Parts: sequence; structure tokens; C-alpha cells
Amino acid sequence: MANDREVLREIWDGKLPICFQLAQEEIMEIQQPDPFYVMVPRLSYFPLVTDKMKRHFLRFISQENADSEMWLDYNGQPLKWHYPIGFLYDLFCGNDPQLPWTLTVHFTKFPEDVILHCPNKDIVEAHYMSTVKEADVLKHRGQVMSTMQKKDHNQLWLGLQNDKFDQFWAINRRLMESHGDNEGFKHIPIRLYSDDGTCNQRLVSPKNGDGSRKNLNQMISELYPDKNDVKFRTHGVTLPLDTPLQWLSEHMSYPDNFLHLCLC
Amino acid sequence: MSIKNGITIEEFIESCNKFCEISERLSDGWKFYGNEVDKYKSYIKKCSFLQQVKSDINTLLRAEFVIFYNLSYGVPSFSFNVWNSSGVLLSLEEIRQMSLISINKDNFFSIITQQEHPVLLRPYFVIHPCHTEVLLRELKEVSKNIIVTFLGLVTPLLRLDLPFEYGL
Repeated sequence: MANDREVLREIWDGKLPICFQLAQEEIMEIQQPDPFYVMVPRLSYFPLVTDKMKRHFLRFISQENADSEMWLDYNGQPLKWHYPIGFLYDLFCGNDPQLPWTLTVHFTKFPEDVILHCPNKDIVEAHYMSTVKEADVLKHRGQVMSTMQKKDHNQLWLGLQNDKFDQFWAINRRLMESHGDNEGFKHIPIRLYSDDGTCNQRLVSPKNGDGSRKNLNQMISELYPDKNDVKFRTHGVTLPLDTPLQWLSEHMSYPDNFLHLCLC
Repeated sequence: MSIKNGITIEEFIESCNKFCEISERLSDGWKFYGNEVDKYKSYIKKCSFLQQVKSDINTLLRAEFVIFYNLSYGVPSFSFNVWNSSGVLLSLEEIRQMSLISINKDNFFSIITQQEHPVLLRPYFVIHPCHTEVLLRELKEVSKNIIVTFLGLVTPLLRLDLPFEYGL
């Protein structure tokens, strides 16, 4: 069970300063819009934190595009809203930190071959809940999510959406418990990303064949037998190689209950 | 390491190969795309054209169906995209209206969602695995080919022809 509350709190409070700039081709006014600065939680998703920014830029764009779907890019690469903000930053800027993180805002030419459509926040919620469910299938064969009530699911989502740590963890702690006599999850919900954004998912057990706790280094030598000096970053931190996977999963998972680790 | 009663990636690939052999005999268009580097990224795909009649206007749509291995659930998963003749992706609501899929409106959006395809890494519509997972586990023992059985579960939802010969 996730016991190191200070770690959970520290990760929850992680924030990123973002500078949003309207793409030049969108600007329809003579006057240039000011960039829009905001601090956003690393654990949140862009569609949950961009309402104000959108309103700020709306009067500078062509009114016929006012209702079209807004999207963001960093250095010409469209940002996938269905990943947590902090993960996207680690992926694109992990090796070369840039603060504030300057992103470009678009209202036209939605890259539908790259980004999922997100007409409203219900889509974000549906995506979030299905990811939590998938993580629970890996950890507990889906038993915790299926025994929870609808109001528990809501509380989890609202806790994240409204940045309420206690509300969120009151429910999430149940998802972080190990069941039965074995200490640990069945599998660790983990996604490993290369710097080109390609993702590898593997079935990873929190234990070695002999029953001892598996650490990050042991996982790396299993998954990348040919590579030396593999390191992973998450929440802006390069992970110590001797970190046990079970502890990592309980404390450093994103609210969607997955560990999202970037190869660095 | 596999999830209890689910199918392993090896079983999935073997079924895919057998399924595509039959498909080739029937000229049904399913092709196997193996991935040497990462076996979990192997899949089968069928491309076809669909007729759409809307207010007496006949248009041609391009459709792509992909079956891949869902690692978390240990089951095959069904995904698809449909484009119009200008190459624009149809929305889920447009797809629902053309009754390519026969699911009532309430359930539709909970069963099918747009997701980043875990193998192809682009947006696709994916039928949620938890609806097939339970049935598939029960049918696994009596199934001759898990892909045929799986498509048997999915095809009532989709207007996708599955020749009887696959069952023979």
C-alpha cells in the first residue's frame, strides 16, 4: 500500500509554468495577442486547464473558427491531450529543460491522424476511467474497479479534475492495495516510451523468479538485454535503478494508475 | 505470465496465421503483419470499400479493420477507421448513423471509443475489450480458431461479412 504520503503529496503538487502563444497564421487582428501564462498541475490533462487560455485568444482569431477544436503543438509536434501534461513535458523536454514551456495554440487544421478528438471533458473522463480500469485488470484482474460504486469512480475523477488530493486518494488507495497473501500486484501497469514517443507495453511482474522484490535495474536487464546504461525519467526525476517496482507503481504512477516512464 | 484464461501472444499469432491462410483461400482480404522486433505489435488487417447511400446519393467510403493483441486483457481487440472519398475520417456519430454497427445509441459510445491505437499509434475506433473478454474466455476451450470465434462475437455489431467457410 502506498505509505510514503510525503512522496504522494510532492508528486501531486508538481506544477509546470506554461506559456501559450497563438499560432501566427491564426491571428486575424492587427494587434498581436499577449502570450498567456499559467501554472498547471503536472498530473492534469490539457483539456482540463485550457478554458481560460482559449477565451483569451478567441477574439484574435477568425470567428468562423471559434467553435472548432483547439489543439497544441510543441516545436511543430502536436501534443496528445490524452497523456498527462507532466509526462508530455518529460517526453519532449526531459533532456533539455525549458521553463516556461512555450506551446503554440491552433484553432484550424486539426491533425486528426495524430490527435484524438476531444469535443468535451466527458471524453477526457471516459478515457481516464478506461485507463484506470485497464491498470486494475493488470494489478487485480479488474476486481477493485468492478466492486467500486459509480460514486467512487466519480470521486476519483472529480478529485483529479478539481485538484483535491484527499478526495482522490481516499479512493485511489484502494486501487493501490495488494490482495491475497502475496505482497504486490499481479502485474505492474507500466508504459515505456522512447524519445520518438513510441510506446512499449510489457507484462511486468513486481517479483523476480525467486520471489524477491524486482527493482528497476532487474526489469531493464530483462527488457533490454542488449542495452547498457538505460535510464528512465518520470515526474521530472531520473529514477534510481535500485527502486523496487512495486513501490514505484504505488507511489509514482500517474492518476490513471499507470507508470509512464520516458527513456532518457 | 499470461493472464489466467486469456490467450497468449503466441496463441494469438498462430491463430492469426491460420486465419489469414483461410482468408487467402476465400479471397477475403485479411493480411497478417508480423513484427519481428516486437511480437506484441503483430496484427491482421483488412481494407475494403463501403457503399453509403444518403439522400439518394451513393458515395464510396474506405474502411480499414485491424485486429491486434490487447496485452492487458490478454484478448484480441477489434479496431477500425472509415474515411470518406476526400480522405477525411468519419466521426463516431457519422459511423453510428450509417448503421455499419448495430448497437443502440446509449451503449454505442460506451462500447466504441476513439483511442490511440496501441500498435499503430494513430487514432482508431476501438471496441472495448471488456465486453469480449468474458465470453472469449468461456469459448476458448471449444474454439478451433480464436480469431474466428472472436470475429463471431464482433460481427453481429458490425456489418462485416464473415464467410461460413472460416468455421470449417
